[in-house]
Amino acid sequence: MSTMTEPDQARQNPVSTSPAPHGTQPPWLIVTLREVMVKAKDRSFLISTLVTLVLIVAGVVFNAYMSDRGNDYVVAVSSDAGESVVMLADEQGRADDGNTTFTPLVAGSDDDAREQVRSEEADAALLQGEGDTWTLVGKEDVPSGLSSGLGISLQGFALTANAAESGMSSAELLAGSELEESLLEGNAENQAVAAVAGFAFSFLFYLAALVFGLQIANSVVEEKQNRVVEILATAIPIRQLLYGKVMGNTVLAMIQLALYGGAALLALNITGTADLVGSIIPASGWFLVFFLFGFLILAAIWAVLGSLASRPEDLNNNSMPVMALIFAALAAGLFASGQLLVVASYVPVVSSVAMPIRLLSTDVALWEPIVALLIALVTAVALLHLGEKIYRRAVMQGGSALSLRKAMKLEQ
Amino acid sequence: MLQVQGLTRRFGEKTAVDAVSFDVPSGKMTGFVGANGAGKTTTMRMIMGVLTAQSGEVLLDGRPVTAGDRSSFGYMPEERGLYPKQPILDQLVYLGQLHRMTQGDARSRAQELLERFQLGDRGKDKLESLSLGNQQRVQIAASLLHRPSVLILDEPFSGLDPVAVDSMVDLLREHTEQGVPILFSSHQLDLVDRLCDNLVVLQKGRLVTSGTGDELRAAAPRRHRITVSPDAGWVREEPGVTVIDVAGQDAVVELADDDAAQRLLTNALARGPVHEFSRIRPSLSEIYRGVSQ
Repeated sequence: MSTMTEPDQARQNPVSTSPAPHGTQPPWLIVTLREVMVKAKDRSFLISTLVTLVLIVAGVVFNAYMSDRGNDYVVAVSSDAGESVVMLADEQGRADDGNTTFTPLVAGSDDDAREQVRSEEADAALLQGEGDTWTLVGKEDVPSGLSSGLGISLQGFALTANAAESGMSSAELLAGSELEESLLEGNAENQAVAAVAGFAFSFLFYLAALVFGLQIANSVVEEKQNRVVEILATAIPIRQLLYGKVMGNTVLAMIQLALYGGAALLALNITGTADLVGSIIPASGWFLVFFLFGFLILAAIWAVLGSLASRPEDLNNNSMPVMALIFAALAAGLFASGQLLVVASYVPVVSSVAMPIRLLSTDVALWEPIVALLIALVTAVALLHLGEKIYRRAVMQGGSALSLRKAMKLEQ
Repeated sequence: MLQVQGLTRRFGEKTAVDAVSFDVPSGKMTGFVGANGAGKTTTMRMIMGVLTAQSGEVLLDGRPVTAGDRSSFGYMPEERGLYPKQPILDQLVYLGQLHRMTQGDARSRAQELLERFQLGDRGKDKLESLSLGNQQRVQIAASLLHRPSVLILDEPFSGLDPVAVDSMVDLLREHTEQGVPILFSSHQLDLVDRLCDNLVVLQKGRLVTSGTGDELRAAAPRRHRITVSPDAGWVREEPGVTVIDVAGQDAVVELADDDAAQRLLTNALARGPVHEFSRIRPSLSEIYRGVSQ
């Protein structure tokens, strides 16, 4: 560092008289940068982010592997008819997704077949009883894929046999029973992706609201507890300090969100399960914007809670309302549907999750998310404004934790 | 010059600071003394704008002080405040930037100050890993970092060892030489004596006295020491003389005026040899004790 002064030199000319070069960054930006840098150097934060990233990628890869693998069922049979049913099921399984196979294991008797199930050589035994009754015997349970696959092929097998007896073909018997599905909105595959994406939105928002919200509150309490805030308050307007903190943590939350989302999309692409991802891209874009606004509201609340506390422990007691709000958003994302979801999609904070989910699964007119965003924006601005008032009063107050009412009455 | 005019602050029923006025002249060190709870910290917080005054104002060079002015002040609060878990140099640079220094300037200045306090190699250490005395030095560095135009220091010397006190004093003198007004509170009266050009004494929220050392000394009672042989007991009978203390040949007396002094000396010489007759210059701490009884 060339600007560093040698100690001896410093002694000779310790107080420079030349005017110091002035920094031009606005104070809130300096606070924002510090919030980001402190967190970026925090080892536990880095590790937890990395672990989450690994879990996300592993989850996607594992999911792809599982759905690729399908199931291989071994079914013990003691009759030719049974063997035929299993073979038919195998044919259908291969035709459907190419991943599910059925292999008959021929046993000498029903008891032998049961024994094979008990010794786990076979997943189940298909036994023909008296008078065209069939029994599927499992050890402790029968895999649902196995029973449904065999059920369908048994129906087909019986249909063919019965048709032959009555001199007709099975196709003739089934004529006019074809049911085609048609959806007014979206398609079935889209719904599955929407469900997964909706879960991801809910959870990511929940995680960020807690982690970075608490971070804001803690950093406010820390400054209040150490009284650094007195020095900061003499250097810059206290409002700038609040804005800087909110901005810094919002930036961190958005970066983390982008990292997680990016990693998930990348993993989906690499594993080749990405063909449906295109359908969630627009909703994901909306989610980013809604996330930002929802987070700003929560950030203002967390900052106020921090300024009311006198020690980090106090946060446990006074954070109930904001925790309730965050849980409401999570619950709306996971469970709400129909009219309730529509209402939720306009409630600030909750809308951050609810509106993107609506956008995923149904057609929503463009004005709806825009109105919801405006409501969230107005709320965010109002809360930041109110938060600033309370923060300014409470953060200078030493002693015990404050209630909101007490804080409003405080003189500065 | 920094001027405090009629500052008042009440907390509920209690008046912590009651219409206090005094000056902190440029280039001078002004000691701020008073018992615990006298209102020193409250006054300093009002000067810094951390606490709002209910009445009265603070003037800088004759005009009301603004938030912009205050951001160029150096402040050391009573309850020390820095980030315990952050590296020292990083947080000093941060504070410097908030005081509108560039990052490079703040860094070199912070390093320079740390070296003055023999902490030049501790810049990367977390504050909490330092001894309390060293944390105090960092706190001082934080208040001096941005080449402040005014210094308001609440108990800056508490917790410092004599070496650190000396380097602190040197640093403060460099600032007064630049014309910076310094107001500092202290309970260490010997230090106040040694450092101060001015003294401001508060008691129970009210100003007891303020002024330069000479002014205060002039206002203090005129005391003389007289040493005669064989015995000084006779001074008790002298008119216009209040005896503070007599022990054998020595007496300390308070004299009403110069005439009384001359009379006492003439009478003493008439009675025998006079070994000493001198005016006692009270120290500021003695003046403080005198006014705050």
